[in-house]
Amino acid sequence: MLFAALFAAEGTPPGVLADVAREFSPRIDIRSDRDVVLDLNGVERLFGNARTIAEELRRTAADRGIRVRVAIAGTRIAARLLVRHRAGLTVIEPDTDAPALAPLPISLLSEFAPAPLTPGEELGRVFRQWGIRTLGELAALPSDDLAARLGEDGMTWQRLARGEDPHPLVPSLPEERFSQSLDLEWPIEELEPLSFVLGRLMEPLSTHLERRDRGAAVLHVRLHLVRIDDTTPAVHERSLQLPAPMRDARALRTLALLDLESNPPPAPIDRVEVAVDPTPGRIVQFSLLTRALPTPERLSTLMARLHALMGETRCGAPALVDSWRPEAFEMRPFAPVDVNVIDRNKASGLRPQASGLGQSQGLRPSAKPVLALRRCRLPIPARVRVNDNRPEYVAIDRRGMSGGGIESCAGPWRTAGDWWREGWDRDEWEVTVRGGTTYRLFRARDTDRWFVEGIVD
Amino acid sequence: MFAIPLGGEYMANIARVALENALRDRKLDRTLTTALLALERVDDGAMVPVDVAAIDRCLQGGVPRGHLSEIAGPCSSGRTTLLLHLLSAATRRGEIVALVDTLDRLDVASAAAAGIDLDRLLWIRGSESSWALIERALKALNLVLQAGGFGVVVIDLAEVPASTLKQIPFTTWMRVQRVIEGSDTACLILASEPLARSSGGLTMALAGRTTWAGASSRSRRLAGIDMRVRVMSPRRRIDGEVNVQALTSEITAS
Repeated sequence: MLFAALFAAEGTPPGVLADVAREFSPRIDIRSDRDVVLDLNGVERLFGNARTIAEELRRTAADRGIRVRVAIAGTRIAARLLVRHRAGLTVIEPDTDAPALAPLPISLLSEFAPAPLTPGEELGRVFRQWGIRTLGELAALPSDDLAARLGEDGMTWQRLARGEDPHPLVPSLPEERFSQSLDLEWPIEELEPLSFVLGRLMEPLSTHLERRDRGAAVLHVRLHLVRIDDTTPAVHERSLQLPAPMRDARALRTLALLDLESNPPPAPIDRVEVAVDPTPGRIVQFSLLTRALPTPERLSTLMARLHALMGETRCGAPALVDSWRPEAFEMRPFAPVDVNVIDRNKASGLRPQASGLGQSQGLRPSAKPVLALRRCRLPIPARVRVNDNRPEYVAIDRRGMSGGGIESCAGPWRTAGDWWREGWDRDEWEVTVRGGTTYRLFRARDTDRWFVEGIVD
Repeated sequence: MFAIPLGGEYMANIARVALENALRDRKLDRTLTTALLALERVDDGAMVPVDVAAIDRCLQGGVPRGHLSEIAGPCSSGRTTLLLHLLSAATRRGEIVALVDTLDRLDVASAAAAGIDLDRLLWIRGSESSWALIERALKALNLVLQAGGFGVVVIDLAEVPASTLKQIPFTTWMRVQRVIEGSDTACLILASEPLARSSGGLTMALAGRTTWAGASSRSRRLAGIDMRVRVMSPRRRIDGEVNVQALTSEITAS
């Protein structure tokens, strides 16, 4: 086994070191922009012995304008430890990893702590107290006694000090482009024929995503337009942020079409390109005990259709806002969280994803129904006759809203706020008119005009 | 050789079977008639409880899923109160619900006070009363029902003028019924008067009156609504009346 570790100087542009490594081996592990490990098994036949490969690696990096250290050893961890410690080229003879690592200071290990292990600094302090300064001294400790004192973490550190890899190399795959394009023989003007073109492009894109277990996080549609005049843009580009990773071809096509319906291209189209920003696929665990929610694909298609039909701001989940203004609320995207996710998050002490969850102050046990108000979003003007500072007759000029003599009333409740900008200052009354309808009325104190705020129902 | 007598009763039976087959082919066999036995599920999850014990007892469990039902009543009869209570119970069970609010009348504070988990409520807001708006609201209702996955879907047509409601073709409600048939969604219409009169669903006709507390005019305050709910479902052979009391949120809290 033969591995090379490359360690570049600070300020190396991203991706350059990986490109250098890929020129020598397809199996590379990119640890960071400055730290790359190559699997050199079988490469000797192409480039020569280990020293020749190391020199060639350094020369290629220099051609790209970066300075690198190179170390070649029998294991990845040995190569990486050596490249951190020694500048220039280091080539270790086969099966001499442990002796080569022995004089290295133990502080080097602190940079190689895998996540579940005790942090390197903490363990380093213990080793210093024991008088252990080098990797060779750690490697020479009796394993059983080390395990008895430090547990599994200690054993792992010792294996690293001996130059033993904790797991096989997992090669980093080059970033794939998930895109499709089609040149049209005849320009398209309508969206209907475009739907067939989009369908044809989305199918292979969806298959590609599925093979790589990826979903689309953002969908980009680029429509190259026929130049009608100088004002026509060359490209009409739309980007859709998807609420969840998805790769269903029909859902992606529908979402793209609905977006183009709202934002149509200004000229005929002669080339269509679709691309996605990939993200890891979604893993869904259904429950036998709770009702399943609609899939994100279905939900986002529904929301896109509703937005196109009713308007973008007219559909969503309502939310209360921190204000004393009586009609204050805001609309949030409708993204219900699965009950199972909430339960799991509660169990693990995590907060639910949606920030407003449980903000309804509700989720109270079953009780008597609570009186509701049907609110007139724009208050309706009313004419009110007042006697002894109490309303006694109301007339409302709105079809379907009956006025008349007031049988019972309660009030006034004065509310005011937001005086530093266009605020409100009103006296509220609840009144029941002779027909039996109960209204909430208010008198605007600044104009002395009466309005219907809503119907108690 | 024997000749089979083709009597009037025999011919009538043949005609009836042919008619029933034709209706079944077009999936209209249970939409148009109340004569056939119900094929509804009988498990606990087949109903959406209103969460008012007296009403649920009378409804034999609640509002049926896969059917179109109605809450009808005049202004201040408690129809919105009852609806929000039903939606609150549904969201507490973890279901998601949708409200097509044709005239944009939902008071978010009332919904929160009723205990609705607002994150699980899809609110589709109309704006003003016009035929085009009703048409859009009905389209939105159709989209939500076809998407599926909602426990309760409501269209609020209360306060829409009767003249506008009359323009809705009766077949609209049959189409809605066809969309939800066999699904787990209970569709509800909130209106001043019964509109759909679906044979499979039920109608809750409300009459109510607000109640007041306090003896003097200074101490007087709104206490609640005494609701009289009449529930009817011809196919389920339900016809009963229940009295329910709704209270203001302050009184409930105390």
